[in-house]
This record gives sequence, C-alpha cells and structure tokens, in this order.
Amino acid sequence: MNIWPIAGREFRSIFNTTIGWLVLAGFLLITGVFWASMVSYYAVQSTDVVSNPYAASQMNLTDYLFSPFFGNTAIVLMMVCPAISMRLFSEETKQHTMELLLTSPVSTLEIVLGKFLGGLGFVVVLLLATMAGPLFLAPFVHLDYGAVGAGYLGLLLVGASILAMGMLFSSLTSNQIVALVWAFVGALALWVLSWVSQNPDSVFSEIGMVTHVQDMFTGLVHVSNLVYFVAFMAFFLFATWQRVESFRWS
Amino acid sequence: MPTIQVENLTKRYGATTAIQDLAFSVDKGEIVGFLGPNGAGKSTTMRILAGSLGATEGRALVGGIDVFDDPRKVKQMVGYLPETPPLYTDMTVRSYLRFCARVKHASEPRKAVERVIEQVGLSEVAHRLIDHLSKGFRQRVGIAQALVHEPKVLILDEPASGLDPAQRVEIRELVKELSAGEVTVVLSTHVLPEVEAICKRVIIIHQGRIVAQDLVENLEGGGHSIRVHVARPVDDAEAKLGAIGGVTAVARSDGGVFAVEASADVREQVARVAVDWGLLELGSTRGLEDVFLKLTADEEPA
Repeated sequence: MNIWPIAGREFRSIFNTTIGWLVLAGFLLITGVFWASMVSYYAVQSTDVVSNPYAASQMNLTDYLFSPFFGNTAIVLMMVCPAISMRLFSEETKQHTMELLLTSPVSTLEIVLGKFLGGLGFVVVLLLATMAGPLFLAPFVHLDYGAVGAGYLGLLLVGASILAMGMLFSSLTSNQIVALVWAFVGALALWVLSWVSQNPDSVFSEIGMVTHVQDMFTGLVHVSNLVYFVAFMAFFLFATWQRVESFRWS
Repeated sequence: MPTIQVENLTKRYGATTAIQDLAFSVDKGEIVGFLGPNGAGKSTTMRILAGSLGATEGRALVGGIDVFDDPRKVKQMVGYLPETPPLYTDMTVRSYLRFCARVKHASEPRKAVERVIEQVGLSEVAHRLIDHLSKGFRQRVGIAQALVHEPKVLILDEPASGLDPAQRVEIRELVKELSAGEVTVVLSTHVLPEVEAICKRVIIIHQGRIVAQDLVENLEGGGHSIRVHVARPVDDAEAKLGAIGGVTAVARSDGGVFAVEASADVREQVARVAVDWGLLELGSTRGLEDVFLKLTADEEPA
C-alpha cells in the first residue's frame, strides 16, 4: 500500500495552514473551558452530598464528569472537523496537484485513504491534547480507564465520520468554503437529529450521530453502535473513491 | 516495437470531440514535438498517455502495456509535466520532491531527489518554499518532479513556458541529454524554433485530428521561398528575377520586397542580380511556421 506518503504529507500540510492552528487553538480553548467548569461543578456537588450517604454512593466520575465532558467535546469536534476536511480535495483541484497524484503509480483508493488518514492524524492530535485534563486529575482520583478509553474511542469515531463526510463534499468542489458549509450543515443535521426527535427509537434518532456515541461516553461499547460508525465511514469513503475515480473522465 | 503506440484514440466530452482517431507511434529515445493551436487536443492526448484521463475509444500503449489495462505499471514508466506544474506551494522544493519520489516509488528516494535537484539546476532554491519561487523556478520544479523516478518516457506539456531564453536552452540540453540516454520524449510547445531545435519529428494536431506527422526536415522541405528586399528596384526587376533558372514565380510587393518561389535553392543567383539594386535583405521564408500556419488554417471559417 502506498498510502503513507500521501497521509504524511496531508498531516504535515495542515500545520502549514492558519486554519489548522486556529482549529487546534479554538478546540483546546473551548474544551478546556468545559473541562474546568465541569471539574469545579463536580467538586461543588461532591461537597453538597457529603451529608447524604445515598447520593454520595451514586456519584461517580464517569457519569458526572466524563460523560458530559465527552458529550460537549463531541459537539465541538463535529463542528471543527469540517474545517479540516474542507481542503482535502478542494485544495488539490485548485492547485492542480490532483494531476500529480492521478499520474503517480497509486490507485484512487490509496489516494482517498491516504488523505483520510492524514486528516484523521490531526483529529488524533486534537484528542490527545484534551487528555491533559484527565491526566492531571489521575493522581488524585480513582479513574476508570476503561470508561475513559471508551469515551475517547467514541470521540475518534465521531471525528473520523465527520471527516469522511466532509471529504466527499471536498471532492465535489474546488471551493473550500462551499465544502466547509456543506460539511458543517451535515454535521449540524447529525447532531440535531439526535435530540430533536422525542422518541429515542425513531428513525431520525437512529440516523443522528450523537445517539450512537452516548453509550460509549458512559463506558459502554455496543456492537450496534460500532456498526453505525463503520457503515457511515464506509459509505462516505466509497462515495469519495467513486468521485475521485470520475476525475479521470472529466 | 515502438515505445509509445496510439491507435485510433478518440476522446469525447459529451457532444464535443476533443480528439478523434489519433494514430501515431514514437520510438525509443526519440524526441517528438506536438504542435497545434490552443484547444487542438494536445493536452488531452498527453493526459491520456500519462494516465490521468480515460479515452472514449481506441488504445494507447506505453512500453507495450495498455494504459487502460495496467495504469499503475504505465505510470511507473512515465514522467509527466502538466500544463500547470502540480506543486504543493506550502512545501519546500526538497520536501516536495521527496514526497514525489516516495509516491512514485523511486528507488532510493533521497538520492533521487538530490540527483534531480542537480540535474534541473535547483540547488540554490532547494530549501525554499515553492510559494516564494519565480515562475521559471516553479517550472523547473515541475520538470524535476517528472524526472524523479527515472521514467523511460517523458511527457512534457509546454515545458518551456515561463522560462527565459537562457533557461530554455538549458532545458533543451537536458531533454537532449535524456534522449541520448534512451528516454523517449513527447513534448508540446507553442515556440516553433524550439521544435526545430530539439525535435526530430513533429506531429501537428488541428481540431482533434493529426494533420501532419513527419520529420522536421521533410515538413520544411519541398520548394524554396525566398524573400528579397532591395533599396532601388528597377522596373523590370520581376522579369529579371523570373529569368533565373529554377524560379517558378515572382511576386512584387510595396517597398521593394519580392517573394520568389523556386524549385531549387537559388539564393546565390538571386543575390547576384539583386546586389545591383541595393540589396538590403535576403532570406529563405519556408520554415515550420509556414507549414504550421497552412495546415492549421481553417478552410471554412465557422
């Protein structure tokens, strides 16, 4: 497979852009504020329940700190990923560099996967950076590493899915802003669908992305939820692949 | 077997036909020039050979392998410079070429990069961002990109564009050198002297069809046209020029300029006659340019 040079170049080039650094800074600022306020709220709550043994026994870090933190982080992630995905193919079309990739001995699928992994690398950097909070807390509390791991898995899946969707939009236009807006609208829809429908079993709720990641944020990894994300990514990666394949015919 | 073989290649975009029934072949180590007005189908043909575009009909073989059957193998053999050099402007020249070397499976990528930097003359700018380079240097980076994996076939779409005359000569020498090393070169250009200087053979494309393909000297040959400019033409100058053996036609235009058509090279005889009238200028006019203009003139203006 010849995807690593493409993935590596993509990953590095994100750090050559202002957008890349803005996304990194903005994401860390917002999630950092969330983290700080949630930790202090949790501290206040735990002093409140000291006199109530039952309430105290019900309180735990996973449900009262990490789950809401992951939930908020997921929304922020859904909103910033379009800014990463927008340039994946638009930039290539605009700079005429697609011609270089198309005439190199690599397959179209390798190009698509390489670019996807390059963008995903940046999402991983974003997520690693948010681990500063939990790591700082670790020496003082009893952390459920399994639950935290499941939460981060959920965030990674959310980021990867939005990225795959945004990549398709990016392959459809040479205008990054158009690609950004489409992906942003898509991400917004996937968020809204999860809470707009009152009935949790409705079709809309099933399509919504947040519905499928909520359990992971409390430490539960269901196969059905994994299937949702894998299918979601597979669909958009396949569509992008077909779209890039069609460049040879235009 | 020829290195490049194209058989009734046709490409249509919806109702418009970009190229129709192209057929030509290029032998190993040959330098062939593609000529044609803008929109004639040169770039389309080159893109098909380089594997970035599919054809509607026909076959294209590079090194005996069908471009559509095994694109990966063909691309490994072909170096391609598109009309707009495909550059990641946020990278330095060296890191860009390293990326190209890796993605094109150059053997020993690092060494290959240093080799092309030397070959194309990029040493002084190798550490600079492509974004900060002049057009001439960018064009050279584009050429370096096409050479980095040591291709057997080089397809260059307007390689001389944006270069100054000195750089053009350098590129010309480089192409000749490569061809001596048995690299097959197909290039397109608008600069006709360029073709005369490096190409042995030209293929002239007009409106998607090949209107001529022959050795440069064959296209230029056949009949001689001489242009004479004198200071004091006498009244019977036309008759006197017409009396020279081999001259078939004489046309007089304003300011003492005569166009002489002859079946042989009669410049010496013409000069002898014209020197008495105050010869200012004498030259042969038949060149590739004439042939080109004649072949690509529209018979019926649309």
